[in-house]
Amino acid sequence: MSETAAFEPRVVGFLCTWCSYAGADKAGAAQLPSPDNFLPIRVMCSGRVEPEFIIRAYTEGADGVLVLACHPGDCHYKEGNSRALQRNRLLRKLLDSFGIEPERCRLDYVSAGEPEKFTRVVSETVEAVRRLGPLRLSREGGLNDGSNDA
Amino acid sequence: MMIGVFLCTCGTAIAERIDVERLAAAVGRLPDVAWCRTVGFLCSEAEKERMEGVLRDEAPDRVVVAACSPREHEATFMGVMEKAGLNPYLLQMVNIREQVAWITPEISRATRKAESLLAGAVARVRRHAPLETKRVEAVPDVLVVGGGPAGIKAAIELAEAGRRVVLVERSAVIGGLPVRFEEVAPGMECGPCMLEPLLGELLHGRLAERIEILTMAEVTGAVGYCGNFTVTIGVRGRGVDRACIGCGECAAACPATAANPYDYGLGTRKAIDFPFPGALPNLPYLDAATCRRAAGEECRACKDACHLGEETVRFDEPVTTVERSVGAVVIATGGEPIDAVRFPALRYGEIPGVYTSVEFERLLSSSGPTGGKLATAGGREPESVAIVHCVGSRDPAHRDYCSGVCCAYALKFGHIVASRFPGASMHHVYRELNLPGKGGAALLRRGGEKSFFHRYRMPDGISLSPGAGGRITVTSDTGQDGITADIVVLCPAIVPAEGTAGLAKIFDTPLDHLGFFEELHGTTDTARGKVKGIYLAGSCREPGDIRQAMLGGSAAAAAIHADIPEGKELEISPVCAVTDRERCAGCGICVSLCPYRAAALVPDGKAEVNQLLCHGCGSCAAGCPGGAISVGYFTREAILAELEGILR
Repeated sequence: MSETAAFEPRVVGFLCTWCSYAGADKAGAAQLPSPDNFLPIRVMCSGRVEPEFIIRAYTEGADGVLVLACHPGDCHYKEGNSRALQRNRLLRKLLDSFGIEPERCRLDYVSAGEPEKFTRVVSETVEAVRRLGPLRLSREGGLNDGSNDA
Repeated sequence: MMIGVFLCTCGTAIAERIDVERLAAAVGRLPDVAWCRTVGFLCSEAEKERMEGVLRDEAPDRVVVAACSPREHEATFMGVMEKAGLNPYLLQMVNIREQVAWITPEISRATRKAESLLAGAVARVRRHAPLETKRVEAVPDVLVVGGGPAGIKAAIELAEAGRRVVLVERSAVIGGLPVRFEEVAPGMECGPCMLEPLLGELLHGRLAERIEILTMAEVTGAVGYCGNFTVTIGVRGRGVDRACIGCGECAAACPATAANPYDYGLGTRKAIDFPFPGALPNLPYLDAATCRRAAGEECRACKDACHLGEETVRFDEPVTTVERSVGAVVIATGGEPIDAVRFPALRYGEIPGVYTSVEFERLLSSSGPTGGKLATAGGREPESVAIVHCVGSRDPAHRDYCSGVCCAYALKFGHIVASRFPGASMHHVYRELNLPGKGGAALLRRGGEKSFFHRYRMPDGISLSPGAGGRITVTSDTGQDGITADIVVLCPAIVPAEGTAGLAKIFDTPLDHLGFFEELHGTTDTARGKVKGIYLAGSCREPGDIRQAMLGGSAAAAAIHADIPEGKELEISPVCAVTDRERCAGCGICVSLCPYRAAALVPDGKAEVNQLLCHGCGSCAAGCPGGAISVGYFTREAILAELEGILR
């Protein structure tokens, strides 16, 4: 496949069931078109998302990951979203140091009443990842320098 | 492994947007998928019945339902699983309606996305394990924090209905403020006479065996949730055994004296003494700081004086911590007057004869420091008393609300002064009068002919200064002639009781912007707190009078009966965290991450999660560096399998 001509990124989403997943469902009910490149996984809380899940998404072929949480202060579990934010900040730094653009690891907030925001954030993320191009990891799981492209 | 897949077309809602045939064929090729059935409306009664039959006949190991959002029908299909004799947690739903069909304009793309999500679900469901929902009975017992009118009313009503109640009171006395008042508005009933029968009921009546009263006690910790709280209570040593008959010989013999906090320091008490005459429970308490022994003396006058034997009095009694299990908590900690020294122009504490309302109550009370004898600072009978209303209330610089009780008690003061000193004049210095309710307006007539009303304008429009002959001059911003009074009573705004913020933290329940406990709803649900299982009564949620406090106590009790009837079962969802003791290194990160205090290090240093307290968010599992915590239904293996499946 010619990556430059028709690169279709794959973005994995981790959506907390209380706010963001509900917001995504509302976007569905409102029939707001959304890129099919986004593959949602439902979790109880954004705080459940282990950094390992995100790394594994990359090694399994995702080009980007989007964690969607309740708005600050609205977490169903009081503070899971702030844990998710802390982890996201740390992970983005770490990814950056390995040459993986932090834009491939986004965290945002979508409430149950924000279907438009859901659609916008998903579209933005997919487009941002599309601009970055495919994420190329070496077979060992590190960043590919281009010399051993699969 | 045999996986059965139901593919719901939702009528045309899914069928028109996804190539269902192609999807079914793709699903059929996934590993372990034994069959894939396409159904019109799987949530219809007929199809649910058919689904149940299929599940019985085929007895698949795992089930995937591709349909609408799990938020819509996961519970529905879990119910069908259960009816068919399968564990409901062996189900995984795929949302191909809201999150595929309805948002993906092109059929081919929608179909491809649905294939990915189904592949994820099939991969994931293989990792599901049967889980069990446990049920435990809710604890019917109730903790009441605060022994004032609201708390005692709640305790009595709950005990009346057979509940066991733990009543925790910070002071040495139950009954709250009104047991220290001579008369109470609007009916001018004697406060102690009105309350003592209720207090007697608590202490010695037929309800007493169901009510545990802990005085000089404070809640120090709480974990749990509605139906199951574990509360720790610190009980300060009273220094006097409960066997005490309250004869008072110890107090008579005690040589040490200090200011009595129950009289706001206007009178004194012995180191071992009653808070005030008639205080209940009828037990003195030993103030170790005042006791001669604190200064190193070997005094034992109280022990020697006790008719019951020296063991009845205990020196150096430590704070004991007790733990109680309750299903609900009534917070009834009340309010208190704002500190009058915050109003420099009123010179409280500087000019003799200027008192706060609660001090004045004690001066009027026959159980007070003067035995109810009111005199000027110079010892004369008062000829003129001025009452300054709204001190700090309706004042943007202090409290912008009306405290709601002051006008009524101020007019009560007028009534008492007029009846005791018919010649004395009474001056109400006020901005607005607020006398709602049946008895409110009648209070205006209680003051008699020598009652005068002087209006002032601004919150800081009053200043007090010492006048001739030990009298006090009240100057107002209306420029009227100064009022001269022998005694000036300030009506300070009612603010949340000291310790309110700490208690809110212990129970993890929010306060409103004024610092009072926040109700579930300020208009329609004021007896319930924001957190399930926490109930509010009395002035801890809003300044109110005795009637409102009593009503609040009854309402809290009623709400508890409605929410947690005796025998109510609590479901413990298996979607909760479990630790693997082998892998746990005891670092305690989970303990710091858990928002519900469910994770704790047990004595052997390993972490354990209390399933009753766990809400299943999984924050601990995500933070555990050893991967030693798993969350039911959202295990690491399941989520990673789903991830691999959708990206395959």
